[in-house]
Amino acid sequence: MSVLKGKELRIVGFLCNWCSYGGADTAGTARATQPTDLRIIRVPCSGRVNPLFVLKALMNGADGVLVSGCHPRDCHYSAGNFYARRRLELLKEFLPVIGIDPRRFEYTWVSASEGPRWKSVVTNFTARVHELGPAPKWEDVPARYDMPEDLVNPIRPLGCGAHPSLPELKEAIKAALADGLEGVLGWKQGFDAIHAEPVFMTTPEEVDSLIWGPFNVQNLAVQLPLYKGRKIGVVVKGCDSKGVVELMAEELISRDDVKIFGMGCNGTVNVSRILAKLPEGARIDGCTCKGSKITVLSGGESYEMTMNEVAQDKCRICTKPNAVLSDVFCGTPTTEPEEPEDGRSPALRFLDSLSLEERMGFWKGQMERCIACHACRGACPMCVCRDHCVSDSRNPEWVTQEDTVQQKLFFQLIHAQHLAGRCTGCYECERACPMDIPVFALKQQFGRTIKKIFSYGAGLDPKGTPPLLTYKVDEPTIKEHDLA
Amino acid sequence: MKIGVFVCHCGSNIAATVDCAAVAKAALEYPDVVYAQDTMYTCSEPGQQSIVDAVKEHGLDGVVVASCSPRMHEPTFRRTVERAGLNRYMFEMANIREHVSWIGRDKEANTNKAAELVRLAVEKLRRNAPLYAKQFDVTKRVLVIGGGIAGIQAALDAAEGGIEVVMVERESTIGGKMAKLDKTFPTIDCSSCVLAPKMVDVAQNPNITLYAHSEVESISGFVGNFTVKIRKRATFVDWTKCTGCGTCTEKCPTKNVPDAFNENISFCRAINIPFPQAIPKKATINPDYCRKIKEGKCGVCAKVCPTGAIVYDMVDEIVEEKVGAIIAATGYDLADWKVIKEYGGGAYPDVITSLQYERMMSASGPTAGHIHRPSDGMEPKNIVFIQCVCSRDPALGRPYCSGFCCMYTAKQAIMTKDHLPDTEAFVFYMDIRAPGKMYDEFTRRAQEDYGVQYIRGRVSAIQPTIRPDGKVGYIVRGADTLLGKQVEVDADMVVLAVGVEASKGASHLAETLRISYDHFGFFVESHVKLRPVETNTAGVYLAGVCQGPKDIPASVAQGSAAAAKVMALFAKPKLENDPQISVVDIKRCVDCGKCIKVCPYQAIEEVELRGGIKKAHVIETVCQGCGVCTATCPQGAIQLSHFTDNQILAEVNALCLS
Repeated sequence: MSVLKGKELRIVGFLCNWCSYGGADTAGTARATQPTDLRIIRVPCSGRVNPLFVLKALMNGADGVLVSGCHPRDCHYSAGNFYARRRLELLKEFLPVIGIDPRRFEYTWVSASEGPRWKSVVTNFTARVHELGPAPKWEDVPARYDMPEDLVNPIRPLGCGAHPSLPELKEAIKAALADGLEGVLGWKQGFDAIHAEPVFMTTPEEVDSLIWGPFNVQNLAVQLPLYKGRKIGVVVKGCDSKGVVELMAEELISRDDVKIFGMGCNGTVNVSRILAKLPEGARIDGCTCKGSKITVLSGGESYEMTMNEVAQDKCRICTKPNAVLSDVFCGTPTTEPEEPEDGRSPALRFLDSLSLEERMGFWKGQMERCIACHACRGACPMCVCRDHCVSDSRNPEWVTQEDTVQQKLFFQLIHAQHLAGRCTGCYECERACPMDIPVFALKQQFGRTIKKIFSYGAGLDPKGTPPLLTYKVDEPTIKEHDLA
Repeated sequence: MKIGVFVCHCGSNIAATVDCAAVAKAALEYPDVVYAQDTMYTCSEPGQQSIVDAVKEHGLDGVVVASCSPRMHEPTFRRTVERAGLNRYMFEMANIREHVSWIGRDKEANTNKAAELVRLAVEKLRRNAPLYAKQFDVTKRVLVIGGGIAGIQAALDAAEGGIEVVMVERESTIGGKMAKLDKTFPTIDCSSCVLAPKMVDVAQNPNITLYAHSEVESISGFVGNFTVKIRKRATFVDWTKCTGCGTCTEKCPTKNVPDAFNENISFCRAINIPFPQAIPKKATINPDYCRKIKEGKCGVCAKVCPTGAIVYDMVDEIVEEKVGAIIAATGYDLADWKVIKEYGGGAYPDVITSLQYERMMSASGPTAGHIHRPSDGMEPKNIVFIQCVCSRDPALGRPYCSGFCCMYTAKQAIMTKDHLPDTEAFVFYMDIRAPGKMYDEFTRRAQEDYGVQYIRGRVSAIQPTIRPDGKVGYIVRGADTLLGKQVEVDADMVVLAVGVEASKGASHLAETLRISYDHFGFFVESHVKLRPVETNTAGVYLAGVCQGPKDIPASVAQGSAAAAKVMALFAKPKLENDPQISVVDIKRCVDCGKCIKVCPYQAIEEVELRGGIKKAHVIETVCQGCGVCTATCPQGAIQLSHFTDNQILAEVNALCLS
């Protein structure tokens, strides 16, 4: 059985048991004729509707999805619809980035007594979906693999030379270790001169291996929840510090347990961009950094490049080069530039320039390349589920084992949805991706809506609350979607 | 799993526009479905028996009934499958009547849709699990919030039934609005003569603990086991010592305190007992006016108090009470009519509210029952009553009818004639709403026996004038829509039948109680027709105007009804919870605490397991099953039983992938 071909489109409804399901019953009792397309899934509360259900339906080819709950203040469970309102509003704003027309999704409020209102909601929404026609199918959309490599001019000077305060930082860490700190997370040189790797410093010798500079790309905040309850330290760049702060805001680590060491950051590199300047497969024999120039030695040749050419995209628009919260800050803080006019990642900027169907094609192309290694997840400091990610689970089974674009993209949607209001914009997911898939754009799509609606930026206030974990009874910045 | 599907014709209600036999046939193709039939009336005795028989004959583990709304018959069929030996949650319903046959005309589309909804139910049922209710003890005490007539009636009935009652009243005396009334309709009997004995009963009933001058601070817990924190606001008088002799109020030198009990038409002292029949009859100091408290000078009351009850440095006290049920009876306030500029917006001294007029007519009121207009004390010869002030007025955002104003206006007009036989009474009305027992007769008596002039129309303006004798008059301009012309009445005094609104702070209390309230602040009952005193929060009941405008008989009836509901609740030795609640899979939980943050009921706590591992834990009796936590948990570790992720995903996939 399916929808009647030529007559109906596939419209899925999620209705709360107490108000809207009752409203639909009331409409039925009054014999209020409605289009037959809609199929209703009964849930206890609109707060039960995980936005991922809506995404699942749309990714599975639904032509429209409707969520309806009790009017604000009338929730049977007093607050469920307040949470729903925030989640669903964000979802609606999110949809275009993956090429789904936001008009295919709507949420509204209908009470158990509002039979006529329910009738007009169904009638109007069904008419809207019919006007849009059948949703494009992932199988039919042509995949595209292009994305212009457009480098944004940095909004502040980027540099890579030795930091004058590194010795001071090392002394401070040694003193803290002597003072009883169990260890301090930092970076040391990795397998070659342009790769750093994390080090958990417990001895003065290990502290001496600490480096600071353009190769310290990893966000070490990701390690902190593993040490929960232990007294340790962490060395942070400005961007990393936001992760530390957000972990504190969510009480995933305790402020009292973590000593934060900061220094002014002058930018970090995108290693792929350096490697792109070398012959394929070249071995790195050495590297010197001076001012804003990086000289890489390989196979007897030396390759010169500037930070402007190889810096990470996030560093080019970074406004927080200094730790937003620190216990020890060495040296003078880097001057903090004004918020850039366009803070979009290159991929998001590119996506914005595409049509909806082209965006589907974009993600189809990207996800065909995804090897599902989940490095994005591993690098994300806010991915707190650790070994219990729902994408690895059969109960609940949000993602199947099928190796399809839809399943792989759905994992990305889960990640983005889980980070909505929590993502500090560290780009680690994208940096860690061995296939260079620009997955950060999905998080940024949520991020910019959250900034617009809730004026909230994650990782700035250790006492802050992510907007999806709270609500206001009146939401002046969320417009009611009246379908009636 | 073996599933049986029963497709109901509901006579012709479904069968007229759905091919039920075809739906049953289609159902046989669905996974795990081993039996399907269509029946004429599934909810009938033989219909239910056919389910029981099929379960036994085919060894079914689960049943789907495709019929009416689960909001109608889910409980019925759950009992049926239970009779057949299955767990009651191994049952699903497909709503093919309200959501299909009654709303679609196209039989082909309807049949197809009905079959799909059956498939949805089958896919969900395949993932259902047996659920079992937990039993828990009940604290057989009830909290009554509000000591007006509704709360008093509820408290007395409950106490009579042997239940301990804790009553909390915001004012320093119980009695509510009814205590301010001189007479009540339709009998014109003395209000306090009816009410006062009940108030005394409250004071004397050993089962009732009264906290006057107190407010509910917070409520935690759940049906059967609420913990209530009550703020006893400082009275500055030790009530255990105060005898209510009234010496302090006589001697208090501060005489300019607006008398709230008299609706601010007179003044009282800074230390005061609101009225002679007050319960408890204890004095209270108003700290905003007391010279000793404000300026440190005076202390007269302490000097004259024969029992030494005055305590100037008293502070609020918080007391805790354990109760098993709560009755909210917080009543109402009058709307702020001063927004209506046509009526002077409060600037004309002789335009007063009906409640002020009531105090004026009361023998224990500030004028000892004599009607004098406030501006110059003149006995009014023409009084105009205006009905529907702030009622039935969508322009003011108050579309609702306040229900009892028609009746008390008639009462006040009649009483006016009783007090001042030569005075003319005019009533401007929109419609006379008098549907109660002896009510219509009463309004007719006002018109026919007492000669009250009823004018059907609204008043457009009240205009003060100076008459030739130098006295102030009020020209009341309005329409007489029956005669179809404009009318003017030269009035000495105008009485406004001001509509009711939810009591101040009602919405705050609703949030404390976790019950719903409507746009006007009135508390929302569970079902408008069938559950008028229950709320959607188990164990919380409503009585009186806090639920919507109603008169004294209706408030009393609802007070009794609420008490009866509480007694029924407490009649069971133990309560059972609804097992459709959230459950934590501790293997998946990473203790991120997000569920704890979002739970509207504080039903989730962090527990420490052996070895210091912390996990979330659902308090089974507190969880109400909304599922906000399930939609929040990133790991999917907390699942709402009967509405798990996999169940809903199965429904989504059944719809989209098939």
